[in-house]
Amino acid sequence: MLGYICGRIFALMMILLAVSIIVFSLMHSVPGGPFDERKGRLPPAAKANILKKYGLDQPVWKQYINYMSHAVRFDFGIPYQRPHTTVAKLISKSWAITVQVGLTTIVVAFGFGILAGIYAAYHQNSWVDTLVTFVSSLGVTVPNFVVAMWLILIFAVSLNWLPMGGWGSSGQCLIDKYFCTDWILPVVAYAIAPMAIVARYTRASIVEVMGEDYVRTARAKGLSEIKVMRKHVLRNAQIPMVTALGTEIPNLITGSIFIESTFRINGLGKYFVTSTLNRDYPMIMATFLLVAFLWGILYLLTDIAYTMIDPRVRLGAKSLS
Amino acid sequence: MGFILFLALFADLLSPFAYDRVYFDRVLLMPFEHPEHPLGTDEVGRDYLSRLIYGARTSMMVSLSVQMIALMIGLPIGALAGYFGGAFDFVISRIIDIMTAFPALLFTILIISVLGGGMPTIIVALSITSWIVIARITRAQILTLREQEYCTAARGIGASEWRILFRHLLPNAMSPILIAVSFGIPTVIFAEAGLSFLGLGVNDPIASWGKMVGASNAYVRVYWHLALLPTLAIALTMLGFSFLGDGLRDALDPKQKIRV
Repeated sequence: MLGYICGRIFALMMILLAVSIIVFSLMHSVPGGPFDERKGRLPPAAKANILKKYGLDQPVWKQYINYMSHAVRFDFGIPYQRPHTTVAKLISKSWAITVQVGLTTIVVAFGFGILAGIYAAYHQNSWVDTLVTFVSSLGVTVPNFVVAMWLILIFAVSLNWLPMGGWGSSGQCLIDKYFCTDWILPVVAYAIAPMAIVARYTRASIVEVMGEDYVRTARAKGLSEIKVMRKHVLRNAQIPMVTALGTEIPNLITGSIFIESTFRINGLGKYFVTSTLNRDYPMIMATFLLVAFLWGILYLLTDIAYTMIDPRVRLGAKSLS
Repeated sequence: MGFILFLALFADLLSPFAYDRVYFDRVLLMPFEHPEHPLGTDEVGRDYLSRLIYGARTSMMVSLSVQMIALMIGLPIGALAGYFGGAFDFVISRIIDIMTAFPALLFTILIISVLGGGMPTIIVALSITSWIVIARITRAQILTLREQEYCTAARGIGASEWRILFRHLLPNAMSPILIAVSFGIPTVIFAEAGLSFLGLGVNDPIASWGKMVGASNAYVRVYWHLALLPTLAIALTMLGFSFLGDGLRDALDPKQKIRV
C-alpha cells in the first residue's frame, strides 16, 4: 500500500515535470512576447531592460531551468499583468474564491444529487423517478453557461429576485461575507451538471444492488426497510458513487471558467484567460502546475478511498490490463 | 438534429440576410419589431435569424471536422499502440497519461493563445485534445480483442499481422469507437461555443452561437432575446447529438444497458 502510494506520487512528479516542459515550450514556441509594443512604442534600451529584469533575454532552456529552480522552492515569480504582487499571492487570492464556489457547489450537487438518486431508485418508475431521469439527462448535456444565462434571464431579469453577478458583493449575506444572495445563481448553474451525474450514478448503482439476493435475504429475515437500505443497499452502492465523486471534485474545485465569466467572479479561471491573452508566462505556468498537481492528488485520494469503502479492492495488485 | 445539419448546409439559401450585413439604423431591434427581422437584430444591427442559421454552420463545421481529424489520427495510433505494444505503446500511453492529467479546456485555451484565434486554430486546438480519447478507446479495445480465439485462429492459418489488425480486430472494435465519436460531437460543440463565449473563438464577423451568448451578456436586462435564442440553439443541438449517441450505443452495444 505504502509502496503503491509512493509510486503514484513519483508518477505525479514525472507528470508535473512533463507538463511544465510542454507548457513552457509551447508558450515560447511562437515569436513575440508579453512586452510587445502593442500599447505604445518603447525605447529599445528600456525594452532590453525589461526583458533583462524578467530574464526573457536568455535562451529558452536557461529560462526554463531558472524558472523550475525557483518553482521547486514555491517561488513562482511575478505576474506581468500585476507587477506589484507575486504569482503565489495572486493565485491564492483568486483561487480562494474559486474554491468557495467549488466547495459550495460540491455540497449542493452531492447533497441533492444523492438524495434525488436514492429517492428515484427506491421509487422506481414513479413520476419522481421519471422527473429525476429527465432533469439529469438535460443537466448532463446542456452547458453550464447556457443554464447560467437562463437562470439570469428568469431570476435576475424577469423576476428581479437575485443579483446578476458578483461574488459576495450584494451585501445581503447570511454569515459576514459568506453565503450571500449573489452566490445562489452561480452555484445552482454550476451544480446542475454534477448533480445530474451524481443522481444518475446513485440511482443506477442502488437499483443494481437492490436486485441482489442478499437484499432479499435481509428483507426476508424481517429487517426494517430503513435498516435494509442503510446497512445493505447503501453500503454496497457507495463504490460506484465514489467513482463519480472522484472524477467530479477536481473539476469543480479547479474552477469553471464559464461560470466565473458569466457572473463576473474574479476567480482563478478568469485570471487564467487574461493571462493567456497577455502571455503572462509565470501565471500560465503556475496555474497549469497547480491544476495538474490537484488532479493527481485527488485521483490518488479517490483510489485510496476505494480501499476504505471496499476491502476487496487491493491497490497495486497485479492486474491483467 | 437533421434540421440543424440542414440549416448548416443551406445557410446561404435559408437566411434572409447575409450574416455580416450591418444595418446601422436598425440596431438592437426586438423580435417582431420590424417586419423584415422576425427575430430582431443584434448590437450592431445584424439580422439575428440569419446569424442563428449561420451559427449552425460554424458549430457543425467545427464539431464534424474535429471529430474526423480525431478519428483519422487517434484510430491508427491507438490501434498500432494496442496491437504491437513495445516502445511505441509506452510513448503513446505516457502521452495519454500526461494529457489526461489536467482539464482539456485549459490546454485548448493555451494552444489558442499561442496560435491566435480563428476557425482553423480552433479546429486544430480541439483536435489535439480530442484524438486522445479516440486513441485511448481504440487501444483498450485492441488490447482485449487481440487475446480472443479468432485472432489466434487467424494467426494459425497464416494471416499477416496487418491483415489480422485491419480485417479481424478493427471491425470488431468499431462500435465503441463510433459511440465515442458521436458523444464527442456535442463535447466539441460545447467547447467551440464556450471558447467563443470567452472571446477566444472564431473571429468577427463569423457567426457563432457561443459568441452571440457572450456578446449578449451586456444587454441581457432589456434585450433578452439576444441571450435566449442562441442558448436555446446550443442546448437543442447538444441534446440532439447526445440522443444520437445514446441511440447508437443502444443499437451497437446492447450489453451496455446501464445508463450513466
